[in-house]
Amino acid sequence: MAVERTLKDARFKYISPGSGGFFQTSLGRFSARNWALLFLILMIVVFSIGSSGFFDIVNFQNIIHLSTGAFLLAAAELLVVITGGIDLSIGYVYGLSSVLGAKVMQILYAGGAAGMPVWQVIALGCLAALSVSILPGLANGVLITHFKVPPFIATMGMWGICNGITLFLADGFMPVMGAPSEINAIGNSYFLYIDPSKSISFFTKPSYITQADIRSILRLVPNSLFLSLAVLLVLGFVLGRTRFGKHTYAIGGSMDAAVRSGIDVKRHLIMIYVIASFVSGVAGLFNLFQTGIGNYTPSGANYELMAVAAVVIGGASLTGGKGRILGTAVGVLVLAVLENGLQIIGVSAFYRYIGVGVLLTIAVIIDRAFPDLF
Amino acid sequence: MRTEAAKKTNNLPEMLGRNWIALFIVLLVAFFSLVTRAFFSFDTVQLIFFNGTEVFLLAIAELFVIITGGIDLSVGFVMGFATVASSKLMVACVALGLSPFWSILAASAVTLLIGLVPGLVNGWLVAYLRVPAFIATFSMLGVTHGISELLTQGVPTKNLPALAGDIGNGSFMYVAPGGVISFFSRPQVARGQTVLAIIPNMVVLSFLFIFLFAFILGKMKFGRHLYAIGGNIDAAIRSGINVKRDLIKAYVISSLFASLAGLSYVMKYITGKPDAGANMLLEAIAAVVIGGASMAGGSGTVGRTILGALVIAILETGLRIIGMQTFMTYILVGVILILAVIIDQVFPNRNR
Repeated sequence: MAVERTLKDARFKYISPGSGGFFQTSLGRFSARNWALLFLILMIVVFSIGSSGFFDIVNFQNIIHLSTGAFLLAAAELLVVITGGIDLSIGYVYGLSSVLGAKVMQILYAGGAAGMPVWQVIALGCLAALSVSILPGLANGVLITHFKVPPFIATMGMWGICNGITLFLADGFMPVMGAPSEINAIGNSYFLYIDPSKSISFFTKPSYITQADIRSILRLVPNSLFLSLAVLLVLGFVLGRTRFGKHTYAIGGSMDAAVRSGIDVKRHLIMIYVIASFVSGVAGLFNLFQTGIGNYTPSGANYELMAVAAVVIGGASLTGGKGRILGTAVGVLVLAVLENGLQIIGVSAFYRYIGVGVLLTIAVIIDRAFPDLF
Repeated sequence: MRTEAAKKTNNLPEMLGRNWIALFIVLLVAFFSLVTRAFFSFDTVQLIFFNGTEVFLLAIAELFVIITGGIDLSVGFVMGFATVASSKLMVACVALGLSPFWSILAASAVTLLIGLVPGLVNGWLVAYLRVPAFIATFSMLGVTHGISELLTQGVPTKNLPALAGDIGNGSFMYVAPGGVISFFSRPQVARGQTVLAIIPNMVVLSFLFIFLFAFILGKMKFGRHLYAIGGNIDAAIRSGINVKRDLIKAYVISSLFASLAGLSYVMKYITGKPDAGANMLLEAIAAVVIGGASMAGGSGTVGRTILGALVIAILETGLRIIGMQTFMTYILVGVILILAVIIDQVFPNRNR
């Protein structure tokens, strides 16, 4: 034990920048471990000083609302990354689910002429989108476990297949319109509406307020936050507190050891890819609820790579066995605040692409420099 | 490594399994020829190579990195950056008073030089800072995307010298009726007579580079080192290969070919935009994998990669000719990509 610790210290001393000093203190280790969180806080401070519009409850809710998809996709990617794999198809499962849901609703609703109750139209659209979004994950899992296709290739093939089917449903490159407008109300409303002088209402705006002067009342907690929190909390619980979660880390830590210790690795991996695919489907469906139209994934959007970026900035390692939901959420927020803040202080938003690249490399270099920290 | 005994197997299914791409290409051509009469012609062959130039170049770019066991996600946006940089430079050179020809030449040369930088950085991050290739090259994807968006501010570049389009859409050789042959410039003929154009300029140019680097990979010591690094990096280090330097070279070559693809795009479409190669990453990697390379590194050849890219190019052009839309290409490329890996597992050792 003592020898082990000495070795660990020696390695630490050898690798840590500046050889000792700050990074050996507990504060130093804390800041290295939580650099993403510290960077997030730093960014918030800088943007708040840089512009008056940033530090504002409306803007913060905006950031949360607009990153719902990113939260869900990153959570999905995290599951796969912990097992040591990678899922490049989630960004296109996202588009497939959005377009398919919209298409089904469009056909059933038929501009209100079909006579089917609206809730039924919405429910059937959701059901179709969610059940289909399981399939790519199932195929990924079976290909990876039973046919020994590397995750990178299997999911990349699935990217092509999902993208093709989505574009087919979307008739080339047309967003799918014609879903009932009620879905917007679900996707974009808030939990609480407070009119300071008069009333408080839940989930729907007070009827006397028109859409034009909606800004005059205080809206709190977008519905999307509930969705993101629910998914993150459930997956966080599963990963941190259940046997399923422990097995996930075990597979990522050492596949051989996991097999030897009696885990049904094949079944487990298939379930992981199915869950990842399903969560991306939920994200895509919610995108339909937010925008009211079915959006295919544009080429070069790189949703899946952004999800990987968030996961890695959040402390996970692509070699597997490491990573937490909380860190991933911070990773998503770092990217979201970077984008939003740059826009608000008036720096060209294109710098965010560069920012993502730089942050990602820093994340990995820190991870390399402190192998024992996380 | 294939042994002598395995080389001589006369087992028919095994032989087909090992050379399934060639078989698949024959089937593909037969299928398209049966569906449309217009397909089976010399012009279509040229069109396939002309449309597929960028896929060929990006596939070779990806190959050099995949052989070392890495991956380069940045090729598509390095290509986009090259389209933006070269077209901006051409316009600037013309504005400075250079003749169109020299503007294009100077801009291309400078772009190829700048195009080495992303590869240098990628290689340095991977070799010296031990950043995983996936992360390093994804970072570079972001950086090159950002820089090219900043350069264009969302507007594709335009006002390029017309000569660029003439070069990009011209052919190497023309045969006028009566057997008059001319090079590079289309001869003037009477109305109604057709001129036979042979080999588009961009295809000639790309394949010059591809042959050069096929030689380097297959015949020179550097090429053997790349396979050694991909096969077993520890063994490569122990056997005295300068692994770090060779890794950097591999990423630089990848970036060079991506820039070439960008130049080819600019010449063909006379515009430059950041997302010119955004959706080509799938095709580039698919071509390499269909060509039998393993993502784990250590295998893959230029010849087979070209065959892999040819499958994709035939699909794209063929589907366009029979009137199917792009979505079919995506689906088929995805399916073939997965099948390629499965077939290679059933019939192993077919590479090198």
